Amino acid sequence: MIKVENLHKSFGDIEVLQNINTSIEKGEVVAIIGPSGSGKSTFLRCINVLESPTAGHIWVDGEDLTEPGVNILNIRQKIGMVFQHFHLFPHMKVLDNLTYAPLTVKDVSKLEAETHAHELLSSVGLSDKIDAYPNSLSGGQKQRVAIARALAMEPELMLFDEPTSALDPEMVKEVLDVIKSLAKSGMTMAVVTHEMGFAREVADRIIFMDYGKIVEEAKPEEFFSSAKTDRARDFLEKVL
Amino acid sequence: MNLDFSQIVPYIPFMLEGIWVTLGFVIIAIVIGFFIGSFIALVKISHIKVLRWIADFYTSVFRGTPLILQLMFVYYAVPQVLGYDISPFLSAILTFGLNSSAYVSEIIRAGIEAVDKGQREAAMALGIPYRPMMIKIILPQAMKNILPALMNEFITLTKESAIVSVINYLDLMRRAQVVGAELYRNFEAYIFVGAIYYVMVMMLTVLGKLLERRLKKSD
Repeated sequence: MIKVENLHKSFGDIEVLQNINTSIEKGEVVAIIGPSGSGKSTFLRCINVLESPTAGHIWVDGEDLTEPGVNILNIRQKIGMVFQHFHLFPHMKVLDNLTYAPLTVKDVSKLEAETHAHELLSSVGLSDKIDAYPNSLSGGQKQRVAIARALAMEPELMLFDEPTSALDPEMVKEVLDVIKSLAKSGMTMAVVTHEMGFAREVADRIIFMDYGKIVEEAKPEEFFSSAKTDRARDFLEKVL
Repeated sequence: MNLDFSQIVPYIPFMLEGIWVTLGFVIIAIVIGFFIGSFIALVKISHIKVLRWIADFYTSVFRGTPLILQLMFVYYAVPQVLGYDISPFLSAILTFGLNSSAYVSEIIRAGIEAVDKGQREAAMALGIPYRPMMIKIILPQAMKNILPALMNEFITLTKESAIVSVINYLDLMRRAQVVGAELYRNFEAYIFVGAIYYVMVMMLTVLGKLLERRLKKSD
């Protein structure tokens, strides 16, 4: 579903991503891990063009989004994204946070959008917060609403950019549980995370990045028990 | 002490009429300033470098020269070039409107840029196009920063409006001068008109405070 070829990204003179080659199959859950500043988030943000690649190609469903004149809005509508700091719309109620994008860009009625929003909120366990404003929610609740908001667009792929890094420790689990059940439902996902236990349990594949490069790609069992590269072993020693 | 407020009594209706004259052109100038200023603000946050450069230059000219010079330039200097005898009223709304638009554009630009970058990214990630994103997501949040500053700009404009007296426009200020000269009594006339300005500005200030409190409520 996603194919990345020779992806480069520079900010000025700094090369943040160098020669990234990988792909994500439909239904696959990929965990992207690595030290801070290794380019994980930038890589993720290139997939929905929040950062525009300096060179290389990214195909989403066969459509090359580095091609000039490509309809990026259409591609973004197929890709849900969850941010570290939630970025809910603070001036809208939870319900409107969920329905605003579908009502604006998709051909759905208000009733359909609201029914769908109700379903999504109950699936993340927040039916009672439908009329609340984001500022009255806890971090964990905000992130669950943010996940529901992304799902309201019925994306084919979900990107998670360190979804639990800004949360208090006791709220990490409620968010990870939601992501896990989403993974079980067959959603294609790419997750940038520092939660190694979660990556091991949920991911079909680990991508380990360092200094803007993919250093190692492996199945979780393999990666966590016998990583091939020194760099990955060194990293795992520090975090496990 | 030689004070006699009873002397100005016959002139009070004449001076009070100045309130409407002043308010009239200040309100028109505010409207002009707001619309042009909003447009310039949009140019400033756009990605078209040339337009941005022009907008910045426009702003710097109006902020970098005295308002009284701008006013006299429009009233006295422009007719010399264009051959069109511009009225004091038109000069006033034009100068104050354009001058205000420069300040308003900065207020709006700063207000928009103060909105968390993540809001824009979240909207982009959802595939929301630029226009609805600006109108429904960014601007409502920017209003919290913009409205109080805008209120200050209106207050400043109301006070500065007294400068139009130099081009013989019969506003509140000019009427005080006329009455003062007529009676050889300046103290009473200026005190009277000064009090009117003070009340007008205080009313705007209270209005601004109420507005600010309302905006804070949704937090």
